[in-house]
Amino acid sequence: MADTMVKKNPVAEFLAKRKAEKPPKEPKISRKERRERFKKRMECLSPEEQNYLRRKQVIDAAWPVFRAIIVFGLCFIILYPLLFMISAAFRPRADMNDPTVMWIPKTLTMSNIKDAIKAMDFWNTLGNTAVLNIGCSLIQVVTCAITGYGFARYNFKGKSILFFVVIMMILVPPQIILIPQYMFFRYFNPLGIYHSMTGNYINLINTAATMYIPALTANGLRAGLFIFLFRQSFRGLPKELEDAAALDGCSPLTTFVRVMIPNAGSTFLTVFLFSIVWYWNDYYVSTSFFTDNKTIALMLKNLDGNLTRIIFGNDASSVNVRELIVWMEAGCLISILPILVLYICLQKNFTEGIARSGLTGM
Amino acid sequence: MKRLHMSYEKKKGLYGYGFIALWFIGALMFFIIPLFKSFYYSFHNVTPETGYLAVTQLIDNKTGEPNMFLNYKNAFMTDPNFRQYLVESLGDMALNLPIIVVFSLFVAIVINQKFRGRTFARAVFFLPVIIATGPVYAIITGDLETGGNNSAEQFSTMFEADMVDQLLEFIGIYGFGDSFTDLLTSITSDILNLVWKCGIQIIIFLSALQGIPASAKEAAAIEGATAWEFFWKITLPYISPMILVNIVYTVIDAFTDPTNQVMERMLSVQTEWKYGYSAAMAWSYFGIILVALGIIFAIMNKLVWYDD
Repeated sequence: MADTMVKKNPVAEFLAKRKAEKPPKEPKISRKERRERFKKRMECLSPEEQNYLRRKQVIDAAWPVFRAIIVFGLCFIILYPLLFMISAAFRPRADMNDPTVMWIPKTLTMSNIKDAIKAMDFWNTLGNTAVLNIGCSLIQVVTCAITGYGFARYNFKGKSILFFVVIMMILVPPQIILIPQYMFFRYFNPLGIYHSMTGNYINLINTAATMYIPALTANGLRAGLFIFLFRQSFRGLPKELEDAAALDGCSPLTTFVRVMIPNAGSTFLTVFLFSIVWYWNDYYVSTSFFTDNKTIALMLKNLDGNLTRIIFGNDASSVNVRELIVWMEAGCLISILPILVLYICLQKNFTEGIARSGLTGM
Repeated sequence: MKRLHMSYEKKKGLYGYGFIALWFIGALMFFIIPLFKSFYYSFHNVTPETGYLAVTQLIDNKTGEPNMFLNYKNAFMTDPNFRQYLVESLGDMALNLPIIVVFSLFVAIVINQKFRGRTFARAVFFLPVIIATGPVYAIITGDLETGGNNSAEQFSTMFEADMVDQLLEFIGIYGFGDSFTDLLTSITSDILNLVWKCGIQIIIFLSALQGIPASAKEAAAIEGATAWEFFWKITLPYISPMILVNIVYTVIDAFTDPTNQVMERMLSVQTEWKYGYSAAMAWSYFGIILVALGIIFAIMNKLVWYDD
């Protein structure tokens, strides 16, 4: 025991030795001398070279300052609404009418947040949204990955036409096909024979099936983009991986599960995160097919009415438009807080996945 | 031997069908059939009945004869707003497109450099993508306006002092200034929207910038290229494919935005139960966008430089 304590780490020893041997710092040279040296160096150069160096010196000195101003300004513009949100959410409503209050409220209050939580039925809504989101996203990631892999690595007849359909899924706005989709869910006819057998249709409107069925068939929210991302990322992996697996007697499915999926981990995470964010923000599906559902986006959209109904009651007329802002901003704040936390923790995975899945071959 | 090879290929093809089968069933149910149905509706009169949508022939009220294209004709000829909205939203798109592309390229170049806090800056620039797709965005922009805390207004007053106009008149250009300042004010007053729309484009450019080979940078540095020359002769050719990608992305993003006027008009027609009419609007809008994208593609493809 004592022996190991005495024995020093050879690397550390080497580093310490080198540090000791480090040549002493150059004596400080005065500004005058430095200028003279620079002049001497310049004299050896042609006028063009001198010009270039001088210009470079000026730009190198000035640019960081400019850059700092630009970056700071733009960051401020982006963060402005968020800062205002935080500032407004914690101020008493009277401060909205006080012209002396711009950013910092006179007193801090939690009552707006509490009211918003009550009006949105926040904890229930949050749980409900989280279950739906994570469920749909998980299913969608798996199905989109399988589809993307099929497009990336297999050649079959009609592949280009089918891939064109994927591109069209990205291009066509969902509003165009809203009504046929609605009819599909309203008069759901499994396998096309259910109606002829029973004489009835199944009404799927206002059930979670309107979200799970599309996700299960790789047709959920922005599925086209996800299939595209998966295809790009699988195409970037070396073909030898599969050849080796095939030689070892793996079936294509086993190859996919045991060889390809572990190698495309970052794309899986990115698609999953984006899927979560888009399901979180979505109020298009929820307002057209699943209206009885309590999701964050829907409750936030209806916050206005719910506040009047639940919180203000008879005092509704005493709340003016400007005062309403404090409650609305409080609602916004608690609604985006979960995904904001997710983003702050996993920021790298959001951006890197997009960059790495290489939109290059597009 | 050859036969065996063929059958292996065919077998592989069958596996391919297996992998995409699930998606294909879904696409058939939720995309392809609805798409064709809505195309079919656009040529017909559609009214909701219990259990189904009643589809009848379109009949021109004036002549009393069936006219397949009546919905399209109505959209362009008689609808009071549609044509105007269409022109406005296309105009907005044409104006915003170069601004968004140039701006996001600029931002990407800036945050691609090494400086303290660049991780933070990158996180901030991408933040709008996380938030802007939801109802939060509509609320905060609306609140900023009613709250009088509109950053855009404060920003644009800088330019409303007519500095640009004065400058141009000083140089000797008259009249031009007014429209130019109008343009500038419209850009600057929209700066919040603009910055909030650029997240994905910035990321795409950023990854393209990081793909520029170090050898090219080195060669340019040895030859004594200035930053300006470096941008035009190295950066721009290398990222030109991504410029095309970003243009396409920006156009689609603006086109599918449910808050643009054409979309709003279309949805309001839908709530009046005029499905055929709304489908006709949607398809004509879609057709115009496709043509626009085709033209952009044809022009840009010649300018794009591929590193082979």
